[in-house]
Amino acid sequence: MSVQMKEKKNQELNMSRRTLLKAGAAGGVLAMIPAWASKAFAETGCSELTAAITGFTTINTLDPSQATLIPEFYVLWGVFNSLVKFNENMEIVPDLAESYEIVSPTVLRFKLRDGVKFHDGHDVTAEDVKFSLERTMDESQGSPHRNKFEAVSEINVLNRVELEIVTREPFAPMLSYLSNTRTGSQIVPKHLLENGTPSDFSTSPVGTGAYRVTNMEAGASVTLESFNEYFVANQPKVSKINIPLISEESAGVNALLGGNVDITSTAPFSDVKNLKDDSRVQVLSSPGVNTRFISLNTKTAPFDDVHFRRAISMAFSRQAMVDVVLFGEGKVAKGVIPSSISWASRDTSSDILNMDAEKAREELSKSAYPADIEVKLLTWGSGWWKRFAEVFALQVNQTLGTNISVEVSESGAVYQRKQSGDFQASIWGWLGLIDPDEYAYEILHTKGSRNYGGYSNPEVDSLLEQARREFDQSVRGNLYRQAESIMQEDCPVIPCFESNIHNLLAPDVRGFKQLPYSAFGSQFASISEC
Amino acid sequence: MPAHLKYFLSRFLGALATIVVGSFLVFMVMKAAPGDPALTVLGDFATPETIVEFNKKHGLDNPLIIQYLDWFNGVIRFNFGQSLTISSGQDISDLLAYRLPNTITIGIYSIVIATLVSLVLGTAAALNRGKLTDTATTSFSILGVSMPDFWLGYMLILGLSINIGLFPAYGFISPFESISGSLHSGFLPALAIAAPMAAVFSRTLRASLVENLNRDHVIVAKSIGHSYKFIFLHHVFRNSIIPFVVVIGLQVRYLLGGVVIIEKIFGINGIGSLMVEAAFARDYFVVQACAVVFLATVLVINFIVDMICVLLDPRRAS
Repeated sequence: MSVQMKEKKNQELNMSRRTLLKAGAAGGVLAMIPAWASKAFAETGCSELTAAITGFTTINTLDPSQATLIPEFYVLWGVFNSLVKFNENMEIVPDLAESYEIVSPTVLRFKLRDGVKFHDGHDVTAEDVKFSLERTMDESQGSPHRNKFEAVSEINVLNRVELEIVTREPFAPMLSYLSNTRTGSQIVPKHLLENGTPSDFSTSPVGTGAYRVTNMEAGASVTLESFNEYFVANQPKVSKINIPLISEESAGVNALLGGNVDITSTAPFSDVKNLKDDSRVQVLSSPGVNTRFISLNTKTAPFDDVHFRRAISMAFSRQAMVDVVLFGEGKVAKGVIPSSISWASRDTSSDILNMDAEKAREELSKSAYPADIEVKLLTWGSGWWKRFAEVFALQVNQTLGTNISVEVSESGAVYQRKQSGDFQASIWGWLGLIDPDEYAYEILHTKGSRNYGGYSNPEVDSLLEQARREFDQSVRGNLYRQAESIMQEDCPVIPCFESNIHNLLAPDVRGFKQLPYSAFGSQFASISEC
Repeated sequence: MPAHLKYFLSRFLGALATIVVGSFLVFMVMKAAPGDPALTVLGDFATPETIVEFNKKHGLDNPLIIQYLDWFNGVIRFNFGQSLTISSGQDISDLLAYRLPNTITIGIYSIVIATLVSLVLGTAAALNRGKLTDTATTSFSILGVSMPDFWLGYMLILGLSINIGLFPAYGFISPFESISGSLHSGFLPALAIAAPMAAVFSRTLRASLVENLNRDHVIVAKSIGHSYKFIFLHHVFRNSIIPFVVVIGLQVRYLLGGVVIIEKIFGINGIGSLMVEAAFARDYFVVQACAVVFLATVLVINFIVDMICVLLDPRRAS
């Protein structure tokens, strides 16, 4: 046999061996699918659900008095309850409280539901409520939410199920702060925490919610299991909820389309339009409780000049921003108070928030500063916050010949610079704050804790102070509207847009209702099918 | 001191120095980057007072060099410290213990895929040089090298997961939970990392085989009538495998780079994604711990590659 022939034979042999190997490998891969798929992904009825938190990966703590981050509360809302909560119309309704009463402008009285239990079986009493709030207020606890309850002077337990919360002076936002939102007002068990917080409370907390935490892997996942003695009848229906933390929103979309995830906490703006036409996914989209604006430092040039501020406010199209930055998933802002808090937000837009190149140039001509003065606009990241800044700078520069350049940093660094007043202008926005006071007083009052631009107008201050004391919602709402209209003429911040909130659901999921402050975890209990 | 012991000792000390210098550089770069772990933890609720308190509690108010030395002092006692922001207060060694097996599984899985594919393709190309098989293999190699792994990752998800549903689009089953589940859920990410490596391996193997096929002793062996199989296995393949093994060792560095991205795309809770998350959250000590793990991995693999080369070619021992 010649060498060539042998070579050929060898190749044939190799070929057949190779083919065999390939076939074997393919068979092996196929053979392992059913065994594993049935273990991890198969859903028997709706006993198990995967609800991914997308766009975030950090959950530091599940102790409500210490938690600050949105993903932390996404979980907490399913594990804890507060005295009251918000419904889908952003109205306050009872939660752990069966009813409440405004006894006087400084006294709120609550009556608890009967027979509510903590996850460990202990009854919830008025003492637990007093303990929980005082724990958040206690300076030695170092709770980031302490200032929310600064107005409280005392908490009086009347009996096992009744208590009164007394404030030093009338403080209308108190009821909002007592809701199950990001204010550290969730009710925790006194009997477990009164002698100090055990170290594992931050990873396996005990609450009253429909779900209890059974496992938490840092930066990776949280597992919840249903609490059989939850106080709402016939809830929860799904017995186990896996919450993977998926840092990339687009990976969340893939996971949902690929059938590995049933619900996501967010969706990328750019994908929403296409996903709405996709039968493999249900897209929930609604206006969120948020506001996005350009924050100006009224203490430094050129924004210490009201004419310069007004000029740029009228020099760009907000609708163009919504279209380009949010891919249409949002709407033009009419003020700093989000439109979803409808009783306090403005329903008409003032001229100063509309593009008018002529008027803008006229204002600029009154300014003490030349148009081409150098302005740095701070923003961060690479996503839509950066695009937001770019679209703004580009439009204003084109309209007015200004010299605004975008400086991209890191969000924490921008925040730090804002707090220290080391900025001219920055992109900013608040998400998930629930009381108009948080958007108006805190941002616009001379003493507001989020008033980084140094804005001060005694007239606005006075209106905002009155609003804090006013318990009649319609009167209070009008005070905010008046304050906003004065503020808008002064332009310390330039409201731009509000973005929609999104959840993606697998086709079979039923019963998940989206709330304006995107209360992810609190909606698990009502899921009926998946 | 015997020569090989001296060699081993100098390699070991070199590795140690690399880890010290490397982790210090990572530490300084992280510190130089804008951002603050206190802001990550405190979020919207950060105030100058709470930030000072946070920094004091975690020793971040000490001079930089002291912070580094404190950390290093722990590391030599196998104590990586505690997480600052990713999971406040949790031991970093626990985080690593949970995630390392996942990364190792994906890493080995992709090397195995890349090696098997390249052994087949490289050999086929070399034996058929100039023919269609060779052209096809070479084209595949160029394609493989040119395709970014993250792009390939998304394409695989789109093609084999979302459209056909053959593999999960997201998530990874730990090998401790289920070996078959791990192999199944890890297939696409391993393939995405393996493709560029397979391309490089195949080209190296092909070049090396072609070179050896034309060497004098091979031609002589042919002329004296040795079987082709014998010549290929004993005179060609064995000599060609050394550069192949060296290249595998070198590629591990790129593999680690790939792991960082691919773990994010496929949602694998491994060291790569941990490092990225820790970097974003300014969890300095976690980033350093991951860097040390990566550095040590590269050094260990380089060492293993050296040893294999010595075994394959005893002349190298001297």
